[in-house]
Amino acid sequence: MRYFLKVVWAEAVKQHKNYFNNRTIYISLFIWPLFSFLSAYYSYSAFDVEGTLVSYINGKNILVFLMLGYMAMSFFRSVVQSAWNFSRERQSGTLEYIYLSTANRLAVLMGNALSSVFESSIVMLIFGLLIVFSNCDSINVNTIGVSIVLLLFIIMALLWGVFLNACFLYSRDTDFLFTILEEPMEIFAGVKVPIAIFPAWAKIISLIFPLTYVLEALRQVLLNGASISSISNTIFACVAIIVVLLSATLITIVVVEKHMRKTGNVVLF
Amino acid sequence: MIEVRNLKKTYDVKRRDGLFKSHRERIEAVKDISMRIDAGQIVGLLGINGAGKTTTIKMLTTLIEPTSGTYSFDGMDAIKHPSEVKKQINMIAGGERMIYWRLTAYENLWYYGQLYGIDNAVLKQRIEKLLKLVGLEDRANFPVETFSKGMKQRLQIARGLINDPKYIFLDEPTIGLDAVVTQELHREIKSLAKEHGKGILLTSHYLSEVEELCDYIYLVNSGELVVEGIKKDLTDFVFLRNQYEFSTKGMDEAIYQKLKSHICHVDNEAEISFENGKTVIESKMELSSVLAGFAIQEMLTINELHKMEPSLEQAVIKLSKDMQKEEIA
Repeated sequence: MRYFLKVVWAEAVKQHKNYFNNRTIYISLFIWPLFSFLSAYYSYSAFDVEGTLVSYINGKNILVFLMLGYMAMSFFRSVVQSAWNFSRERQSGTLEYIYLSTANRLAVLMGNALSSVFESSIVMLIFGLLIVFSNCDSINVNTIGVSIVLLLFIIMALLWGVFLNACFLYSRDTDFLFTILEEPMEIFAGVKVPIAIFPAWAKIISLIFPLTYVLEALRQVLLNGASISSISNTIFACVAIIVVLLSATLITIVVVEKHMRKTGNVVLF
Repeated sequence: MIEVRNLKKTYDVKRRDGLFKSHRERIEAVKDISMRIDAGQIVGLLGINGAGKTTTIKMLTTLIEPTSGTYSFDGMDAIKHPSEVKKQINMIAGGERMIYWRLTAYENLWYYGQLYGIDNAVLKQRIEKLLKLVGLEDRANFPVETFSKGMKQRLQIARGLINDPKYIFLDEPTIGLDAVVTQELHREIKSLAKEHGKGILLTSHYLSEVEELCDYIYLVNSGELVVEGIKKDLTDFVFLRNQYEFSTKGMDEAIYQKLKSHICHVDNEAEISFENGKTVIESKMELSSVLAGFAIQEMLTINELHKMEPSLEQAVIKLSKDMQKEEIA
């Protein structure tokens, strides 16, 4: 376990020094989600949200509703980008040395996701928390619920990142995953628009993204004061996703290494 | 001891035949290679025309799984237990890739050390020792991107030693380096084998480098072993001969004819010519004493007696040409 944690930490530190050594990157990682958030907020101002079918949205908390969506999105988006970045290790030849070492592959991928989840989202997180706290009167928080959901949220974001990292390592031709997973996640996971008002076909697509479930849970406990028992179905879905993601990641890691040893593609780019 | 027998690697490659059609093609990167590396020995792996050197190294480092053949690592089945092998090996490749340019030399070594789970106190000492070994102790905290090519290569060597490997695979380690840095690296490589007892496999395009460093050489072509042995075995294999240049005071056509007949008695396959007052002889035999004896017998004063042994480079070039001729035929 100690060795595992050493590798997680070393990978996180390396990613930090390799990709986040320039402070301006934090600004760039914040600006676009901020613009997108503002655009969504002002789009809502043209409509009467009081009459919505969604229980936890009203005219007062729409800002917090959207902010939660964008904060959560920034965590999940950051891991997609980090997975894409990690696949560049193949080009630089460093992936070969990682695979030459005895390091646990899950630990390497986890370190990478860990660094990116927190570093890419830190500015958005601070901004989001400021918005949430400055709108305390418009929210209805269930403290125990928030603690549990936040824990689930962080685990899911990390595992989503680890799983994507493993997928991106399978081949040099997996860049298409980036296109498939980034924008559609923002559209279909309910970041801007609650899933409850989606048409049936869009609801089905939204089921693919882990963000969908955990974001719904987060909004319920922060905006509706929902208890864990009242959102037990969503919580069960989150736990099931965690189990599936972990299993899928462990299988993918084995399949990727086997595939690399067979095809030699660890050195091809 | 590392020992591989009849190692083979084939790839199934997808080839496009237009926009929608494709077919699968089988490529034999390595057809049949057997070799052995002992501790404290520097073994050279030379190749001609896409010989399969890199694929062989990748198989030995367990990064690629052989299609067939056996691989024994200190008596253990390395194909079944790649992670056990990884603990005791490392690889050093030439070029400027494979290290993190934005990290410092110390950070690079720290990161790779952590990947091997080395205890922090031991790792700190080892990094300092390695940086000193490769002469980078003063640049330990500078980003790699500020390093020259030679410095990056020296850092690669330090990185390759971070887990104190028993066997090291050097894939063209001096590519693109200047003569001074190359000589320094040669000294380090020799010291690793001879003083620290590490088994080393070296591939290089610089044949003089292989000639200088290697105790034993494997020559491969198109994925197959062509010849193995020490340098002399390779030059003998391609029938390369020693070349002698011999001249005496007052050497003329008459003396030359006498010398020719004298040498033909010793080696009737020798090639002899007379150019610019000098006799040039090519022979597989040792003729220095024969030539000196001839001068004494004929009471001639020797102006020049110069012997040139065939180099590894000549042997490989000749072999390459012979093989091209065979392929055309």
